[in-house]
Amino acid sequence: MYIIKRFFTMLVTIWVITTLTFIIMHSIPGDPFASDADVLPEEVLENMRAKYNLDEPLPVQYLLYLKNLVMLDLGPSIQSETRDVNTLIADGFPASALLGIQSLVIALIFGLILGIVAALNHNGIIDYLSMAFAIIGISIPSFILAPLLIKYFAVDWGLFPVASWGTWLHTVLPSLALATAPLAIVARFMRSSMLEVMNQNYIKTADAKGLSTTGIVIKHGVRNALIPVISFIGPLAAFLLTGTFVIEKIFAIPGIGKYFVDSIFNRDFPVILGTTIFFSTILIITLFLVDISYRIVDPRIKLTSKGD
Amino acid sequence: MKKSVLMSLLMVLVVVPFLSACSEDSASEGKVEQEITVNAKSEPPSLDPALATDTTSGWIIDHLFEGLYTKNKEGEVTPALAEDVKVSEDKKVYTITLRDSKWSNGDPVTAGDFEYAWKRVLNPETGSAFAFYLYYLKGAEAYNKGEGSADDVGVTAVDDKTLKVELKSPTGFFEKLLAFWPYYPVNQSVVEENENWAAEADGFVSNGAYTLKSWEHDSQLVAEKSNKYWNKDSISMKKITWEMVNDATTYYQMYQSGELDLIDTLPIDVIPQEKESEDFKITPYFGTYMYMFNVEKEPFNNPKVRRAFNLAIDRKLITENISQAGEKPAYAFVPYGVETPKGDFREQKETYFEENVEKAKQLLEEAKEEEGWDKIPKVEMIYNTSDNHKKIAEGIQEMLKQNLGIEVTLNNQEWKTYLDTTKQGNFQMARMGWIGIYVDPTPILDYYLGDSPNNRTNWVNEKYDALIEKSKGIQDEAKRMEVLHQAESVLMKDLPFMPVYFYSHNFLTSQKYKGIVYPVNRMPDLRWAEKVSN
Repeated sequence: MYIIKRFFTMLVTIWVITTLTFIIMHSIPGDPFASDADVLPEEVLENMRAKYNLDEPLPVQYLLYLKNLVMLDLGPSIQSETRDVNTLIADGFPASALLGIQSLVIALIFGLILGIVAALNHNGIIDYLSMAFAIIGISIPSFILAPLLIKYFAVDWGLFPVASWGTWLHTVLPSLALATAPLAIVARFMRSSMLEVMNQNYIKTADAKGLSTTGIVIKHGVRNALIPVISFIGPLAAFLLTGTFVIEKIFAIPGIGKYFVDSIFNRDFPVILGTTIFFSTILIITLFLVDISYRIVDPRIKLTSKGD
Repeated sequence: MKKSVLMSLLMVLVVVPFLSACSEDSASEGKVEQEITVNAKSEPPSLDPALATDTTSGWIIDHLFEGLYTKNKEGEVTPALAEDVKVSEDKKVYTITLRDSKWSNGDPVTAGDFEYAWKRVLNPETGSAFAFYLYYLKGAEAYNKGEGSADDVGVTAVDDKTLKVELKSPTGFFEKLLAFWPYYPVNQSVVEENENWAAEADGFVSNGAYTLKSWEHDSQLVAEKSNKYWNKDSISMKKITWEMVNDATTYYQMYQSGELDLIDTLPIDVIPQEKESEDFKITPYFGTYMYMFNVEKEPFNNPKVRRAFNLAIDRKLITENISQAGEKPAYAFVPYGVETPKGDFREQKETYFEENVEKAKQLLEEAKEEEGWDKIPKVEMIYNTSDNHKKIAEGIQEMLKQNLGIEVTLNNQEWKTYLDTTKQGNFQMARMGWIGIYVDPTPILDYYLGDSPNNRTNWVNEKYDALIEKSKGIQDEAKRMEVLHQAESVLMKDLPFMPVYFYSHNFLTSQKYKGIVYPVNRMPDLRWAEKVSN
């Protein structure tokens, strides 16, 4: 029952997002077919507009789009003459997702460890060091970090290729560049959450019972401290999986991150809508998975919608 | 239980990519493999000659296909698939005999393929943005605009080897057009079978020096020398790989690490240090960077103000200190690079005016008097958002302020919005660049024709239009160039625009390669390139 309700909420959310995007997108000035070589006779332009249904009035375009969307057809891309939006996403998503998963794993493993260690050494030297690292990680933008990584690891030391795509080695530097900021954020989240949990009475009780410190930290501390971190992982995963414009541009990754930005500059309407809907769907799914994992971490949390 | 599932999932995610990484093949040592890796910068929007409109797609298409004419190593247009060409007395009918040649799938290239390809470009349903380049054919414009039929278009396959082409009127530069990709053939049966034939490497059929081997979208495209190509003995480079790296710093770093053998358009900040390098090369690029004046808006309704602005800026200072990439100051419209019987078109008359601040001030005074202005009306300069355009706009702003005492305000807009604004004529002074798609004064000068959709200045001059029209029918190259010079001088007298510089193109090419050709309006031609060392 819960899942069915969740599913319908998701459909409504996507419909609302589609509608809003459609309205906003058509209210910005600029014509997808405009270029500096403005040489097209009006007759040819009409043919091209007709190809993308742009000759129809907006409400009709909107309904046509929804009709295709129901059939899971995101339409043709204006910029790419030969590939439609479904193909663009199908081609690009695996690359973005692979980088996303790798950097998510790096961010979680090292972020959690860093956070836990910092919390356990509260106000100690390790705490200061890891938090200094976290602050640097958050504040260095990826477009600075990425060229630095390339300069040392690829150009100077020749350990990895500079950019492009093909072997797993190509994914190392972009995954690291992508992981740094989330890693730092996870570490800070985990640290403060751990600090709070470790002051709770049940930890003291466990300690008084004579349980080993490791046991207390893992079983009672980390598990409870994870809950606020998990709610942050949902959106983070969605962002990482769908690629980022900057990292994909710098490392020449054939992912979908660039379409989120380029499609707007090109006024490539079907791609703007397609990527937005795709991102929303991924986000909604990860949020759903987050809700389920709450339940795994803390059995007291019940998966019910309001009123049940 | 749950935990072990999670753990093994994690293991799979972390370990599997490691395993797949260990399959690099080692190249044989000693022998020099004839291959080169270059940078296309972005995914080519289309490799279908009927649909491609950009230089990236054109670069790859020029290696995969060949038309009736092609450019040789010296950059001259020479017959390729055309074995024999007979032109009628009135210069309107071309009877072209095709040489024996094959498509990459083994089919013979026929005159029918040309007729089919050209009519496909003109078919309104194809929506080809370059269809107007075929308007020189009889009946082409009417068909493309939905007013005529395909049967009336002046291209007919008389038999498999003979193509008859009828022109609307004599066209002096028609051979140049025949070497341009909208005029390339496509394999009729392949295209008819699969509308999307050009979307993937699989099923892609071409007739040129190379065949499309693989195409990983947004990442990499590989072309290999075709063994079906009629002139394959002249082709030395065997394998070309196009990477698609958009970020300038990244592709520069890839060049340094040896992942790319040839790059163009270096990041501006590295040009000073690379200038001394043996690998560095600057070539003129067939285009003009300019500011358009809206001649219907004050103060640019007065020609003297337009001239004064032209005289008051220091172009040398701009190219040497701001743009810095080897551009040439422009005191005319047609860039360097057009070969004429008397030499380079531009070198015959390099300048139409000299920068002169005193003269400019005087012109402004006269204009004020003529128009009854107390002072020159406010001027806003607009440009499309970009760091380089901004720097140049600020330079010009400062020069106008210092030299003429005019306060000019700047404004920038994102590209597509900018195109809208300028198209609607909502500007006084607006930046624009124009590249000639083939190397002739015509595609440049056409820009300011009264009925050109690109002419956003509202400047219309009957004499100019008539001279350009006249030039198009002249067969004698020397005479045609003379008329084009006359047309340019009409434009340069009225100055509806302010030329700033002629573009240049900079490259880094590895010393391992010889024989790369750098055309003035295209990306490097790699057909005759040779790798001489590892």
